[in-house]
Amino acid sequence: MAVDLIRIRNLKTYFFQGKGILSKLFGQGLKIVHAVDDVSLTIKKGRTFGLVGESGCGKSTLGNTIFRLVEPLEGEILFNGRDVVKMNPEELRAFRQNAQLIFQDQFGCLNPRMTVGQIIAEPLLMRQGAQARPEDIAREVAELLSSVNLDPDAAVKFPNEFSGGQARRIGVARAIALEPEFIMADEPTSGLDISTAATILNLMQDLQDKMDITYLWVSHNLNQVKYMSDDMAVMYLGKVVEMGQTKEVFEQMAHPYTKALISAVPQVDTEQQKKTIFLKGEIPSPINPPSGCYFRTRCPQAFKRCEEEEPSLLDLGGEHYCACHLLSN
Amino acid sequence: MSEPLLEVSNLTLDYNLGNRKMRALDRISFTLDKGQVLGVAGESGCGKSTLGLAILRLLPRVAEIRRGEVLFNGANLLKLSEEQMEQEIRGQKITMIFQVPQNALNPVFKIETQMTDILRVQDKYQNPGSRKRRKDFRQQAIERLELTGIADPQARVSNYPFEFSGGMKQRVMIGMALSSGTSLLLADEATTALDVTIEAQINRLITRLAAEYGTSILYVTHNLGVLSEMADRIMIMYAGRIFEMGETQNVFGSPRHPYSAALLESLPSRQSKGKRLLSIPGFVPPLDRLPSGCSFHPRCAFAEEMCRQKVPPLTEVADGHWSACLLDQKRGRQKWQWT
Repeated sequence: MAVDLIRIRNLKTYFFQGKGILSKLFGQGLKIVHAVDDVSLTIKKGRTFGLVGESGCGKSTLGNTIFRLVEPLEGEILFNGRDVVKMNPEELRAFRQNAQLIFQDQFGCLNPRMTVGQIIAEPLLMRQGAQARPEDIAREVAELLSSVNLDPDAAVKFPNEFSGGQARRIGVARAIALEPEFIMADEPTSGLDISTAATILNLMQDLQDKMDITYLWVSHNLNQVKYMSDDMAVMYLGKVVEMGQTKEVFEQMAHPYTKALISAVPQVDTEQQKKTIFLKGEIPSPINPPSGCYFRTRCPQAFKRCEEEEPSLLDLGGEHYCACHLLSN
Repeated sequence: MSEPLLEVSNLTLDYNLGNRKMRALDRISFTLDKGQVLGVAGESGCGKSTLGLAILRLLPRVAEIRRGEVLFNGANLLKLSEEQMEQEIRGQKITMIFQVPQNALNPVFKIETQMTDILRVQDKYQNPGSRKRRKDFRQQAIERLELTGIADPQARVSNYPFEFSGGMKQRVMIGMALSSGTSLLLADEATTALDVTIEAQINRLITRLAAEYGTSILYVTHNLGVLSEMADRIMIMYAGRIFEMGETQNVFGSPRHPYSAALLESLPSRQSKGKRLLSIPGFVPPLDRLPSGCSFHPRCAFAEEMCRQKVPPLTEVADGHWSACLLDQKRGRQKWQWT
């Protein structure tokens, strides 16, 4: 059985709107955005945890909260047993060396005025400080570049000289520079062509095998999450509605939202083609979520109880959880 | 029964950038029948967006059409005057929806203003001497919004684009694009920026309205899954050329070009976990430095000497199934097993 790397318990991240002086003057009330609302999940060491949901469901905020780029309101994030929320700046810096991010915007995250060599050397210099010898750093940068299948000559070029797929690999090289235990990849193949995306997926799998990295894979591409991840969670309006081993979730999906989401993914193979469940409308605003079950306004199977009572995550056995009243009726 | 609506033959187009000449479309020939959906797929830079713009003649000034013709209902669009294009074709018989709806809508005007503008122009050219008033156009705009499934269209028509979500903006675009007069809809990556659940809704809306009005669709996307569910026929493009064309189930079920086969094999949905995905070596060549012969030969696992020398013509290899591969044409049907 794999060891737990990250355990999140009852995590809440809210954003407050209307705190400014203008809203106070004009008497608008405080609006609360429930971005992450009471989420608990466990990410196992050496595995890939997929996080899916529509835009605005809080998946990126959850990721950012793990790194404390956004401060949570309450809850705990245990990383190797230590609570990230309670870390002091010194400890937080050590933690952030051990946990890295790969961003969605492959060019936005690379400084256009720095060479690729400088970009990748930066985390190395941060760790080694003044004792770093330039020739050691240069050698390490070259090794990192070749480990992401880029030519070591790339170190002297600037980010704009690279294609989207190559820029993404530079981001990967920087993320693995400090040999982290954990990497969060936020939509790592968005905007890439089919065969370039395949290159990135292959690369990230090779790195995981070689360096035993744990991934949090945030994506709305369900085909990709099915292919890449071992465990997964489906989020809706800040809450986890279903969670379990990926194989289990795809084969025994229990929540109506998961079913709709999976059925909406267009498939190439005709034998896989299924009846698409069309959801009504769009995701409601997280400022005024519906009463009871958040999904009830779009759910094809909603009934009276969904309006009155919020469903809690039910254990379906085999580490498969689902929050839906249909299961307890 | 099938009647051709759009017949493109030998369309060849260059972008002249200084001393660099880029052939963005190279001898493109295809037909689109009335009421059909033709899907166009390929990697970025293969010319699939240029094709849509060339049909509407919305190309930048550096573009030059070298030869070929675009027959629409029998009339060559390339020979029409700019006035005729404006009055009869663009926004009238042929309409287009774009990838990023927020860029296609003007942020400082209400939805009503933008929709009634189009309706007024359509009305002006379609019924000269019509005496419709502002109120009538507003009513028509509300009807269009209702048709595309926007809740409370009476109130929403007075909103600004920023008050609409991405999916709703795309609905507005569809409402503007599809009318009883439209016979061809060009959709360029129309749902790429949307979530899967919204994407499914929008694609269903496009297919339903197109069927209702008997509109043909040229659907450009790089999402092969979407095409598999929407398109009657598929066209795979690479570096400005058509590599393969045929009925959807034939192209996806038994591809006759190694490039199409490779694209399908690099999809994660076709592989089980832990198995490596195919990634085609190399990259799409820049259009001003295309390799000799078959432009795909440096990346193709099956390439032989003749692929380096001869440009493969697009040939009918089975009934209604076209492929541009010398090896396939020489040896007949074979399975392109990359891995």
